[in-house]
Amino acid sequence: MSHHLSICGSKHEPLFAIGARFDNPDELIGAVKHLRSEGYSRYECFTPYPVHGLAEAMRLQKSALSFLVLGGGLTAILIALSMELVPSTLIYPLIVDGKPLNLLALPEYVPIVVALTLMISAIVAVTGMILLGGMPRLNNPMFAWDLFAKDASRGFFLALKADDKKFNSSAVTELLHEVGAGDITAIHLEAPDQE
Amino acid sequence: MSATITNAEAVKDPQSAPDLSMIARPPQVLNNRGPLWVTDAVCSIVEGKTPIWWYAAISIAGTFAAIGGACILYMICTGVGVWGSNSPAFWAWDITNFIFWVSMAHAGSFISAVLFLTRQKWSLSISRAAEAMTVFAIVCAGVYPAIHIGRVWFVWFLFPVPNSYGMWPNFSSPLLWDVFAVTSYLTVSSLFWFAGMVPDLAVLRDRATTKVRKFCYGIVSLGWLGNARQWRHYEMMYVLLAGLTSVLVVTVTTIVASDCATSVVPGWHATIFPFYFMVGAVYSGSATVLTLLIPLRSLYPQLKDLITPSQLEKVAKLLLMMGSCVAYVYVFELFNAWYSGNPFERGAFWERFNGTAGWYAITCLSINLTVPQLFWFKRIRTCLPLVFVLAILCNIGMWFERFMIVTTSLLHDFLPSSWGNFHPTIVDILTATGTVGIFFTLFLLFIRFVPIMSMNELKAALPGSQPHGDSGHPTGEGHSR
Repeated sequence: MSHHLSICGSKHEPLFAIGARFDNPDELIGAVKHLRSEGYSRYECFTPYPVHGLAEAMRLQKSALSFLVLGGGLTAILIALSMELVPSTLIYPLIVDGKPLNLLALPEYVPIVVALTLMISAIVAVTGMILLGGMPRLNNPMFAWDLFAKDASRGFFLALKADDKKFNSSAVTELLHEVGAGDITAIHLEAPDQE
Repeated sequence: MSATITNAEAVKDPQSAPDLSMIARPPQVLNNRGPLWVTDAVCSIVEGKTPIWWYAAISIAGTFAAIGGACILYMICTGVGVWGSNSPAFWAWDITNFIFWVSMAHAGSFISAVLFLTRQKWSLSISRAAEAMTVFAIVCAGVYPAIHIGRVWFVWFLFPVPNSYGMWPNFSSPLLWDVFAVTSYLTVSSLFWFAGMVPDLAVLRDRATTKVRKFCYGIVSLGWLGNARQWRHYEMMYVLLAGLTSVLVVTVTTIVASDCATSVVPGWHATIFPFYFMVGAVYSGSATVLTLLIPLRSLYPQLKDLITPSQLEKVAKLLLMMGSCVAYVYVFELFNAWYSGNPFERGAFWERFNGTAGWYAITCLSINLTVPQLFWFKRIRTCLPLVFVLAILCNIGMWFERFMIVTTSLLHDFLPSSWGNFHPTIVDILTATGTVGIFFTLFLLFIRFVPIMSMNELKAALPGSQPHGDSGHPTGEGHSR
């Protein structure tokens, strides 16, 4: 039995993925588990908010961001300490009120270390989130699919990419129907702009 | 569970669940609204026609901001002499306003970071607006440190820039700590605010109907798709930033308080200052959150189901708690002045109330000791128009407190020959109202152009939004800890 498969993007361009829409997160997670058991690995799930258990079902690794931020924070401590101690003790020793410049004076350098550590860690956290998430990006092949581009906030989407080793258009369509997906669509790349 | 059932109904029928309505938390969103309704309600503020009141409000706020800007320009061109600050009050309205604004910012961080980490889900719908308040309040605070030094073109001396004079800042000075604390606070809270907004900006991009909107929201949403990988990093980032911001809630005011506390001026030199500044900060910030959200809720009726009276009541309780801490510090400060046996300390506090600038302290205490205490009464806490008025009063009280701490202490130090008085000039006053104008201009722009609530967080917390067997229990959060 063959199912109807709508097409978006340009027919003459290569196929990017087959997309499908689910009504609720349970169906999406069910579909992910099914796809995994069938041996597919190149798929992506799109949700309007973080869905608990989806990353586990997809077997995604823990985000590496925490380690990056730890690294950023530790680097920041070193930067801040050297920024303060090198000028204050070596380049331009400034003795105020006879206060010492040796290690006894360390507490007075702490506030700036704290402030800079927080600032640099936050910058690393946000930059890391952006870069690890594959951003910034001006366009994406997924946007060829009108339903997704206009209504991503309304449904739970799944895209099985055409570069999957097991990819076969009709088998995938069949499979997605089995797991209860709606709006199954072949997403082709868009034709390059002629303007 | 069944072992603890005591009411007669339940004993009769062991199958029926005990009545948990007493301990169930109030719903996050009223009237059983679904995720699509939430998206439409929040986006409609940005997508709908600009209301007339918005134009009126931004014209007024913008005018004040422009006058403030002109005053700053005049001050820079002429010199700090145009302000009333003079010996002995070298710090007057400039630092008063700086501390007033930077402190106010803290409640936003407290609500969006500390309450997020402690899983206080009631704060979800107000956290974005509270963060916006934080960022804009820091911007207003940031107006002063640079200009109060007088010769603004030397402001780069504050930063450790290698220069041909071979001169470096004094890193042991609390004034330099301030520079770093405020820069870091502005950076972190802006990043927290913006990064939390990316998924919601992407929703606006998807819904955009004109090319210009699509382009602008497309740029600022960075190409967000909402795929599982992005959410995974996003959630991790959010927790990390909430953690970092929570530290800032404590450190920034501590550092600002050190400006005063590490000096020897009587009335400033006290170890209670960091705590004093912090509780005052969250107190005035909670008041500002109430001042902003109560009218917002009336102006956009669709928000009534999202900003619920129960949430506002909780902010009022936070205000009450912090207000009580502030009252404690006032009493303790006076006790300490007496108990220290130090004539200068005693003199400073005597003069604070009985001197020529005594009415500042009396206004401050009479507001801050009484107004928040009214929130012990549920009837007052839940009467929103009254809460709005009282919250504004609290902020006025806090402004007087900042003035009382910063300036009246300076008026009466060790040498009788250097005792003096302070009178603000018109430039002082218009610069201060200018910062209020800047604050409201930015807030009005925020309402109009970005989603004022975290749609993704709200939707994720709606009953039934999470897969079964996970935390989104249909009867709310009352069951699980």
